[in-house]
Amino acid sequence: MSSLTIPQFPAYQFQITLFQNVSNAETIRSKIADLSYAFIDPKLIVSQEQLYSAIYKALIEQKYNRLRTKTLHSECLFCLGPTSNIGDAFKKFGIKDDSRELICLKVINLSDNNDVKEDLDGIIDGERIVFNDDNLSKFYDRELIRKTYKLDKHFVPGNTEELSRALVNAIQLRGL
Amino acid sequence: MSQELVDQVSKYLTPAIPIEPISQGAEAVVFTTTIHPYLPTINEKQKFIIKYRPAKRYRHPIIDRSLTKHRTLSESRLLAKLYQIPGIHVPKLIACDPYNGCIWLEFLGEDLPDAFGFSNLKNFLWMHASENQNPYGDIVRETLFKVGEQIGLLHWNDYCHGDLTSSNIVLVKKDEKWEPYLIDFGLGSTSNLVEDKGVDLYVLERAILSTHSSYAEKYNEWLIEGFSEVYKSNGKQGAKKLNEVMKRFGEVRLRGRKRSMLG
Ligand SMILES: Nc1ncnc2c1ncn2[C@@H]1O[C@H](COP(=O)(O)O)[C@@H](O)[C@H]1O
Repeated sequence: MSSLTIPQFPAYQFQITLFQNVSNAETIRSKIADLSYAFIDPKLIVSQEQLYSAIYKALIEQKYNRLRTKTLHSECLFCLGPTSNIGDAFKKFGIKDDSRELICLKVINLSDNNDVKEDLDGIIDGERIVFNDDNLSKFYDRELIRKTYKLDKHFVPGNTEELSRALVNAIQLRGL
Repeated sequence: MSQELVDQVSKYLTPAIPIEPISQGAEAVVFTTTIHPYLPTINEKQKFIIKYRPAKRYRHPIIDRSLTKHRTLSESRLLAKLYQIPGIHVPKLIACDPYNGCIWLEFLGEDLPDAFGFSNLKNFLWMHASENQNPYGDIVRETLFKVGEQIGLLHWNDYCHGDLTSSNIVLVKKDEKWEPYLIDFGLGSTSNLVEDKGVDLYVLERAILSTHSSYAEKYNEWLIEGFSEVYKSNGKQGAKKLNEVMKRFGEVRLRGRKRSMLG
């Protein structure tokens, strides 16, 4: 599990876990409404930078504009997308019944002592691996990303870093 | 920069993000910081740019907020679009908060040797005009040519900078050479008007002329060589468009002369 805090928003902590060889995605999906997590499909995630930039965006929206979804969990999922279509973002960035890999994002409100901590291992049948760019590179789908984020056809990223930068741009500017 | 303004920005960013003021313009204030807005610190020496558009008290608050949002977004959008054009060098956009008029950018450039200051084009040319340096050396010619190429790429793709001074061109050292990056798109726009392009070229020509008058002629020639190269590499149509831009550039220059004679 990786832990992240955003300097500008010290009230929250984000815990991120990457799973592979997941065998019960369908069951997880059926319980999603009762679980306070965001489950993200790594097919569209190329870097830590990309996910963290969406988290930052969600926090800015929450504090200075408004949440477009019900919780900070769902807002992070929504903020990963390049458009303002919530349903579309959930469908694309959320896990599918046949997902074999998933990213599990947990937002902890540090001032809220009643935060329930479910046991992820009781929920997910799969293997934890380190959430880093190396592991993410095994799962992402370049073409699907190009299409989802509508990247310019002349733009040919030379490496993951360049691709990630274009996605951060799209995320920071979404809906604005 | 007033303490009040620094305090206002510090309050927004929280004490977790220390800021160092580096410039104040009419529109925005610029700071550096060592903290990334959302990535863990990997290197204590890392630096980032925070560009903040403070509220203007003389404007109605609602109008002010909407203008700030609009300008912050417009600059960020340009940076995002330009990044996807092969060959164009602009700073990396890290984060954008249009509600507070705040943009985070990658820090570019470095300090030049011998106290010549920050590595923008202006200071670079000063350095090479100084004693024991060759103002017409290969490194100067090559760098100015590349600056011209950057502007050529920008214009060829129908973008204009709007404030093309020699401080808004930052040089980044790569393998002993300098790569020019265009910064400050606060007045930038998409435009296919030869007038806007002619004005961009004229503004830069004036900037070079006023700071390096003895060498300006050669410098501007090298700039235009680089600029033209981009257009010429686009065949017949490129050559035709280059002609149109150059013609207008000449007209803008003439207008400028007349104005200064009157003034
Ligand atoms: N990305 C950057 N990297 C380094 N310095 C910058 C950057 N952006 C702005 N600056 C500095 O801040 C000054 C004012 O920025 P601006 O308001 O964008 O023109 C510039 O003249 C530069 O010296």
